[in-house]
Order: sequence, then C-alpha cells, then structure tokens
Amino acid sequence: MIDQRVFKFPGVKPAAAVMAVLTFIQAFMIIFQARYLSIAIVNLWHMKSVRTIVAPLALFAVAFLARHLLTLAQNWLLYPFVEKTTKTLRKQFMAKLFDLGPSVVAQKGTGNVVTMGLEGIDKIQTYLMLIIGKVLDLSLTPWIVLIYIALIQWKEALFLLAIYPLIIFFMIILGLAAQAKADRQYAGYQRLSNHFVDTLRGLPTLKQLGLNKTYANNVYQVSEDYRKKTMSTLTIAMTSTFALDFFTTLSIAIIAVFLGFGLMNGSIQLLPALIILTLAPDYFAPIRNFANDYHATLNGKNALTAVLDVLQRETPTDRDLLPVRDPVWQANDAIKFDHVNVSYGDADKPTLKDINFDVHGFQKVGIIGASGSGKSTLINTLGGFLSPADGQIEVRGTTVPHLDQQAWQRSFVYIPQAPYLFHASLRDNLAFYAPDASDDAITAAAAKAGLTDWIATLPAGLETPIGEGARGVSGGQAQRIALARAFLDDSRRILLFDEPTAHLDIETEVELKQTMLPVFDNHLVFFATHRLHWMNEMDYILVMDHGEIVQQGTPAELQQQGGAYVRLRSEMEGATVK
Amino acid sequence: MKGFFATFKNDHWVMPYLRRYKKLLVLVLFLGFMTFFCGGALMFNSGYLISRAATHPYNILMIYVPIVLARAFGIGRPAFRYAERLTSHNWVLRIVSDFRKRLYEAVEKQAVAIRQTHQTGDVLSILAEDIDHIENLYLRTVFPLVIGWLLYAFVVIGIGYFNWAFGLLMLILLGVIVIVMPLLSVAVNGRREFQARQVQRTFYTQLTDAVLGLGDWLISGRRHDFLAQQDAPIDEIASLRRADHHFQWWRNFAIQFIFGAAVILLVWWAGVMFTHNQAEANWVAAFGLALFPTVEPFADMSQGVSEWPVYQDSIKRVNALDENEPKQVEQTTIGELNELKLDHVKFTYPGASREVIDDLSLTLHPGEKLALLGPSGTGKSTLLKLMLGDETPTSGQVTLNGEPIARLQDQRAQLFGVLDQQPYLFNTTVMNNVRLGNLNASDEEVMAAVKAVELDDLIARLPAGYQTQVQEAGSRFSGGERQRLSLARILLQDAPIIILDEPTVSLDPITEQHLLDTVFDVLHDKTIIWVTHHLAGINHVDQVRFIEDGHFDMQGTPAELYRDNPRFQSLYDLDRGR
Repeated sequence: MIDQRVFKFPGVKPAAAVMAVLTFIQAFMIIFQARYLSIAIVNLWHMKSVRTIVAPLALFAVAFLARHLLTLAQNWLLYPFVEKTTKTLRKQFMAKLFDLGPSVVAQKGTGNVVTMGLEGIDKIQTYLMLIIGKVLDLSLTPWIVLIYIALIQWKEALFLLAIYPLIIFFMIILGLAAQAKADRQYAGYQRLSNHFVDTLRGLPTLKQLGLNKTYANNVYQVSEDYRKKTMSTLTIAMTSTFALDFFTTLSIAIIAVFLGFGLMNGSIQLLPALIILTLAPDYFAPIRNFANDYHATLNGKNALTAVLDVLQRETPTDRDLLPVRDPVWQANDAIKFDHVNVSYGDADKPTLKDINFDVHGFQKVGIIGASGSGKSTLINTLGGFLSPADGQIEVRGTTVPHLDQQAWQRSFVYIPQAPYLFHASLRDNLAFYAPDASDDAITAAAAKAGLTDWIATLPAGLETPIGEGARGVSGGQAQRIALARAFLDDSRRILLFDEPTAHLDIETEVELKQTMLPVFDNHLVFFATHRLHWMNEMDYILVMDHGEIVQQGTPAELQQQGGAYVRLRSEMEGATVK
Repeated sequence: MKGFFATFKNDHWVMPYLRRYKKLLVLVLFLGFMTFFCGGALMFNSGYLISRAATHPYNILMIYVPIVLARAFGIGRPAFRYAERLTSHNWVLRIVSDFRKRLYEAVEKQAVAIRQTHQTGDVLSILAEDIDHIENLYLRTVFPLVIGWLLYAFVVIGIGYFNWAFGLLMLILLGVIVIVMPLLSVAVNGRREFQARQVQRTFYTQLTDAVLGLGDWLISGRRHDFLAQQDAPIDEIASLRRADHHFQWWRNFAIQFIFGAAVILLVWWAGVMFTHNQAEANWVAAFGLALFPTVEPFADMSQGVSEWPVYQDSIKRVNALDENEPKQVEQTTIGELNELKLDHVKFTYPGASREVIDDLSLTLHPGEKLALLGPSGTGKSTLLKLMLGDETPTSGQVTLNGEPIARLQDQRAQLFGVLDQQPYLFNTTVMNNVRLGNLNASDEEVMAAVKAVELDDLIARLPAGYQTQVQEAGSRFSGGERQRLSLARILLQDAPIIILDEPTVSLDPITEQHLLDTVFDVLHDKTIIWVTHHLAGINHVDQVRFIEDGHFDMQGTPAELYRDNPRFQSLYDLDRGR
C-alpha cells in the first residue's frame, strides 16, 4: 500500500510518528463530535428546552474545531519534511545529471529529463504529502470508530466490519478489469491521442499536398473515435468508483434501516442509534479519500521510480587518474588507444570495435567515413562522454579506463555540428570555459574568431542575449562563437570537431575555414567530417567503416596505398561530378 | 473579476459550446445536483427514520416510506454520480472533437505564419495542451461551481420555506463558503499562480538550457556554478508552493469553521422551531444530519476555482488564434503551365527595414532546371515563399501564365510539389503516407511510385510491408529514405513545378549523391527550382544563380560558370575536395 522507498528518506519516521499520534487523537475527536451532536439532537427530540443543548453543542463545536485544527496541524508538521525531501531530491538530481553527463540525456531524451526534474519531482511532492496522511488515516481512523460502535452495539459494528473487505474486493476486481481493458486499448489509444499533434506538425506538408482543407474532417473523425474509445474505457474505470460509492452509501442506508428496526422493537435507544448513524460516513471516509487520490499517488509512484532510477545510476569513478598539469597537453605528449571497444546502451546504435591509434603533440587528425561509420562515437569517446567497454587508453604515459578525466576535460574544446549556445549574454557564451576572462581578452578572442563585425551590429554588443528564444544566431556564427571559446582559454590545447561545417553553405564554409586554420597551430586536432577538402589540412587520417578503423596514415601514404581511403574519396567526389 | 469578464468578452471558444450542447449540459448539471441531493437526503431521511422509529410506532408501515426512501437515496447517490461522471466526460470529449477541428482550421489558415514565428513544434504542443486545459475547465471548475450553487440555492430555499429569516442567515453564512471563498481563492491564488508560472517558466528554460548544454558544462568543469544556478529557482518554487499550501490549509479550515457554525445554528434553529410536539421533533435529527454531505462539494468549489488563472491563459491564447484571419483573394485557375515569371520582385518583412529581396526578375519555362545558391539569410527561403504565394511581394509580382500566384492558391497543390529539409511522415501506414500525394491513387500506382524512388526492396523487408506503421518503423527510415518516401508522394502528386528546398542538407555526400540522381531522374520532365547549400550535383541543372543580399550575383550554366568565373571554380573544386 505504501511504497517502501518512502521510508528511506531521512526524517520520514519522526514525521510519520507525529502524524500517527495526531491521527489517533483526531479519530477520538470524530467520535466526540458525533456523540455531542447526537446528544443535542436527542435532547431536542425529547422536547427538552433549548438550554439543555448549549453544553452538548459547545462540546460538539470544540470537537469539530479540534478535528479540523488537527488536519491543519498534520499538514503543518508534515510539510517541512516533504519540502526538504523534494528540495534535496531536486538538488541531488541536478548534481547527478552533471556527474553522469550527456550520455544519460542522450538515452532518456532532453524533454524527458527536464520533465523529470520539474513535474516529476512536483508529483513526488504531492505523493509524499498524500500517501503518509492517507495511509495513517486508513489504518487508524476506521478501526477506532468501529471499536467505539462495537462498544455501543456489536451487531451494527459487525455489519460494518463485514462490508469492508467486500468493498475492497469489488474495488480490486473492477479496478483490474478496467486496467486490463485499458492496457488492451493502450496502443490504439496513444496513437489517437497523438494524432492531433501529429497532424498539426505535419500541416505544412499537408498544405504542400493540397490536403489541408479536407483534413479538418479527418481530425474531427479521429477525435470522435478517440471519444468513443475513451468512453468505453472510462465506463469500466468508473465502475470501480461506483462500486465503492454504492457499497458505502448503501451500507449507511442499511444501517439506518437496521437501527430503525432496533428502535422499534426497543433493542436500542435513540442516542446510541443516532451516534452510530452519524459515525457511519466517517467510518467509510478514509477509504473513499484513498480511492479518490489513487491516480495522484500512482503518478507520484511512477515519478519516484523514474527519478530514483537516475539517482541510483553509478557515476564514473577514477576521474582523477590523469595528473593535473597546466597546460594539460603539450607538444611532446601522446595519446594511445589500444584495442578499445565502445558500445552504446541500445544495441542498434553504432559501436566501436578494436580501435587502435597513437597520436602525439599537435598533430591534425582527420576522421573520415560514411554516415554511421562511428565518427561521432569516436569523438564522444575522446571527449569522455562515452566510456569504453574494454581496451586501454594511455594519455601522457598514464593508463586510464576512460577519458572522463577531470584534467582531460579541462584540456579540450568540443565543437559539434551545432554548438550549443546558452540562453545568456554573448559574453557569457564566449567566456563559458573561462568565466573570469577580462573584457579585453574576450574582445580579442572574438576578433580572432572573426566576430567583430557581427558584434558591432548587435544592439547591446557583448551583452546581447542569445540562444534559444532570444536573438537568432546563424550556423556559421555559432561555430565562430565556439572557436572563440578555444581562443580564449589558452590552456585548452586539444580541439574536437564533429562535422562542424556539414550544414553550412559552401561560401560560409570557405570563410570559416580561413578563421579556423590558424587555430589549428599549437593544437592537437581531431576533425570528423565528410567534407573532403579538410583532408588536405590534416597530417594524419583515420578512415572509419562500420565502427572500425579500416585504414590510417598520412594523406600521402593513404593516397599511395589505395584501398578504403581512395575508394571513399572517389565515391564522395562522385557527389560533385557526374 | 474584471479579468474574468474581459476573458469572456470576445470569447468564441468556451461560451458557444455551453450553448450548443445545452441539453447535455443541463443533464450533467441535473445529475451532479442529484448526486449531492441524494447524499444529503439520505442523511435527512435516515435521521427522520430513526427518530420516528424511536417513538415506537404502532405499525411497521408507519416507517415504511422512510425505509424505502433510505434504500432509494442510498442507491441513487452512487448511480447519479456514475451517470454524471460518464455524461460530463462524454460532453467534454464531444466538445474536444469540435475544438480540435477548429484549432486545426485556425492553425491551417496561418500555417505559414506559425512556422515562421515558432520554428520548433512547441507552439503546437502548447495549443494542444490548451485544449486539455479547457477540457479541465469544464470538468473541474465550471461543473462543480454550478452544481455547488444549485445545491446552495436548494438548501437556502428549503430552509427559507420554513422560516425566511433563518433562510437569509444561511444564505449569508453558506454564501461565504460558496461565493466569498472561491473569489478569495482566485484573488490570492491568482497572483501567486502568476508568479509561480513565471518562476516555473524560468526554471524550465534554465533546466532545458542546462540539459542541452550539459556536455559543455561537463567540459568546463564548473560543477559548483552549475548547481548554484539551479538553486535560486528551486528555492523560489519551494517558497511559493509553501505559501500556496498554507493558504489552502487555512482556507479549508475556514470553510470547515463556517460550516460547523452553520450546523450548530441549524440544530439550534430546529430546536426552536420543531419542539412543539413529538411529530415535529422527529425532524430535528433530519435537519441536524442533512448538511454534512454537502461540505465536500462546497469545499471543492474553491479548489476548482483557484485553477482559473491556468485556464484563463489558455482561453486567451486560443481566442487570439483566429482573430486575425488573413484576407482572402479571389481565386482562379490556369490551364497547362507555360511560364513562371518573377517581375521586379521586392520584399520586406513587416516591421523590418531591410529589403530581403531586392528587385529580382526571373523567367522559367516548362522543363527548365534552376539551382539557387547563396549564404544563409540572403533570401533564398523568402524567394521560395514568394513563388508559392505564402508571402506577397512588396512590389513587383510573381505570375504563372500571367496570373498572379495569390489568385492560384486553390490550385496550388496541382501546380507545385515541394521537397523540403524535413519531409513529414504521418503516423500511419507507409501506404497511406505515400498516397497522401494523390488520394485517388490505386495501390498499384503507389507501389509504382515507391519503386521509381527505389524503395521497393526496403518496404518489402518491413514486417508488414506497405501496411507497416511509420512510427514503429521510425528508426528504420534514415534521412535519405524519408526524402525518398516524400519524393514518391510528389510523383503521385504530379505537379508541373517542383521546389527542392535543401533536401540533402543533413545527408552524407554518398547518400546525397544517390538521392539527387534519383530526384533528377524521376523528375526529368518537370520544372525544378532547387535551393542548395553547396555544389554537389550541380551538373543536374541547366542554370545556376547565386543570391547575395537579395539580388542575383553570379549566373549561368554550370559549365560556363566553371569556365569563366574564378569564384565559382574555386568553390566547385573545394566541394570536390581539392
């Protein structure tokens, strides 16, 4: 009924203990409330003077207020624990995200991770707030009330006790039936509910095909189908609530009739009868509340599972094997891959098999291959975003299991096809790796990256906000901003490029190339691309195919050897001559 | 409150549907009212029943009616509730179908504009969510509110029937619960909700930003900054939540407090009113107990209303959608195409000062093939929009056979076929997806088109062949294959002019080359306008034009340009890797 994991949060036990005590007292308040109201009513029934009900009504008022004050107190006492727990969860989640790095995001999806951190944890908060109180209420209140009723009139108590498992039994049976039906329909269901967004997104295509007008009726029809399917599932799902409702309400009616008969033949007095009647709804209230919030608790439970799944992942260890030195990379350093294998979480993504190479100093290493040959995977492994399954990597003579080394990560700049621009000022974006850089240094780096003219056109210069939702930045400029980061932080002597120019038009690429080439000096460069002209700037080339390095050497050597490199080049050149 | 009426002043999304499905609406409200009526009546009747039984009536028949009524109300309450929930969901889902169609039509009219202002599909998800919000507005706010008020009116009138003065007292007292409290909730919560949404949005943006840029954060090694950045919104959200909860708890307590006072007054009043003889005194318990079941619907009203700000936002957004419909131009049609002409076309975006297109003229005849090149932002996409009639030139005009393109929009799909960067595949079968090009095409024609684009082997290998759902096969279709499916559609569409809008931008050179070969092969008899970002496959066309700053820069056949133009020559060589 209650998730065991809830008990693992620090501070849950004292909070629950206090809650239990308050719930216990509250149950008595419920009894007092019923008792004194009944006394007042019975006095009136005996046609006593109105003065005789002053005391009972006052006591009723006290009990009634105490009951609801206790609810207030429960919330008040529980909330700090819940707030602290969710806050801690959120912070732990963020820290974990940083430690796990982009691979977890790639696996779970950006939207999913963001939702988890925001709504997911909100749901956990609601869940924690509900579950502890409701479960305590359910496990204490009905039984205290029942014992009190039994003390007055055991037969009615027996009836109430007997009906309870029946209610739960029917709830479960009908709930399961609804679940089964929902499961069976789920796939079709999901498709129908997504159909609308699907259609909206595909609208430009529909317009191109001249179907935009006729499709409106299709939208309506599909939505109507969805309604019918939903209704048929809801009909069953609501039956479970109906059963609960039916049994509880009818039980109260039956109790009333029982009591009526008992009163007629004199086996019970009006006062106890009225108390029992007043208490009957309170006996059923906890289970009804529990059932009403069932979906909120279910969502919270799922969110908790998802968040804990991320939190319980193992973070890479041995992140400080590579000794810190400034700069990390120098002209006489070497990096060596020895029989390295890399595999992704899911099997159908490309994997790297038996990667061997040995590069040193400020070599320019070109990585070439068709799509899906493993170029990006290799760059990601070099960046430490992916860890090898086996094999050895030797950096500066130190053997490391992976490149997720703190010292290593301070040594390179990573420039993908679309460098990520933060939703911040241009200055913050430029100085992302070196937040303490001076204005002069930033301006100089921007100038080297060829950004000066563009910055002059910006309304607030370096302070102009850029990134998603702010000022648009073209692909070429995004590359230049990433380059400026490299210029700015002189201690980063390694450049990892992953198809930096693939989506740029040829003229922009030419201009960018002029800016890029000077940066290559005094840097170790890994450059994955399928734009062939870059190969002319490289002094070592890795040719990749299906996750393996099929050929490596200087461009001249490879050209001479023939084989994969020459084949690939001619195939790619074929794209430009017919 | 002012905001409330302002929202509905020009509303054509919420109110009209309340009117259109009036009968069902009345039924929902009736069933909802009866649910709580039966709940109250059950306690009322039971109170009377046992009081009457306690007078030891001479014959069981004396209490026969209340006994039957107890069972009737006991069954009635869950039955009505069940019916109410089904009817209200059915009602709302019916409206949702209407909404979706309307939203689709509204978006359809502005498809181009929406694409332009919001590049990602997010806005569409937001709009789809808005519909869900309006759905909840009915279920969680409107229905409970109206049903609560009906119940309130019933209670007040019922009591007023016996004693108008006391009825008036109840009118005021319960009025605090059903009118003042909801208003207070909106006023207090509305402001906080507004704040919370802002913080939430900041956090959302920040978190998305952090997740998308996680790789850079990792490389930067600024773990502390990363965590510190998220702390502020986390704390802010927590404190807003806390304030929100505190308000809710106190409000619920206040509601209970007033409610308790109402019960006490009712009992007191019954004591004064019905103590003249035993027959009257039997009613005291009835009145004393009847009010309890109403506290739940009354308390729910405030909660439902406090969600109003969320709904208000959505209502405003959907209402704003179809307010500025583009003006309609009278349509005509043309026969067989013999000329596409741009005559001194100039274009400036509304509100911008720079001319995107500056005096362009161009004439194309059937079968001619033109390539357009130029850096991004030079007006290539704008030129395509002008040709398709999605935008209207500021001066000059675009004509087909001398007829302005704006007058040919109804015929557009018969004139233009478009293959763009991201062809959209709908979540239906492969067969249906291709058939979108021509709904009247037979299965054989669809298969012939698929064969022409050389996908027949691939489709044959899919688990269900042509009947495979695109979503399930999603990962199977690479970028190039998606383009080919889209090309098959265009073949079925069989329009004389084909627009290729950088269809190969995300493909590797080998895939690109093969795709272009197929495209120009199957479309050999069409007029083609091809926007491209580099020179791969340029020999397929008989005319190349470079756009620079809104006007044509270099032009000629590929062979002429290569011979006479050094700039073209160097770009061409670069593209071939020289």
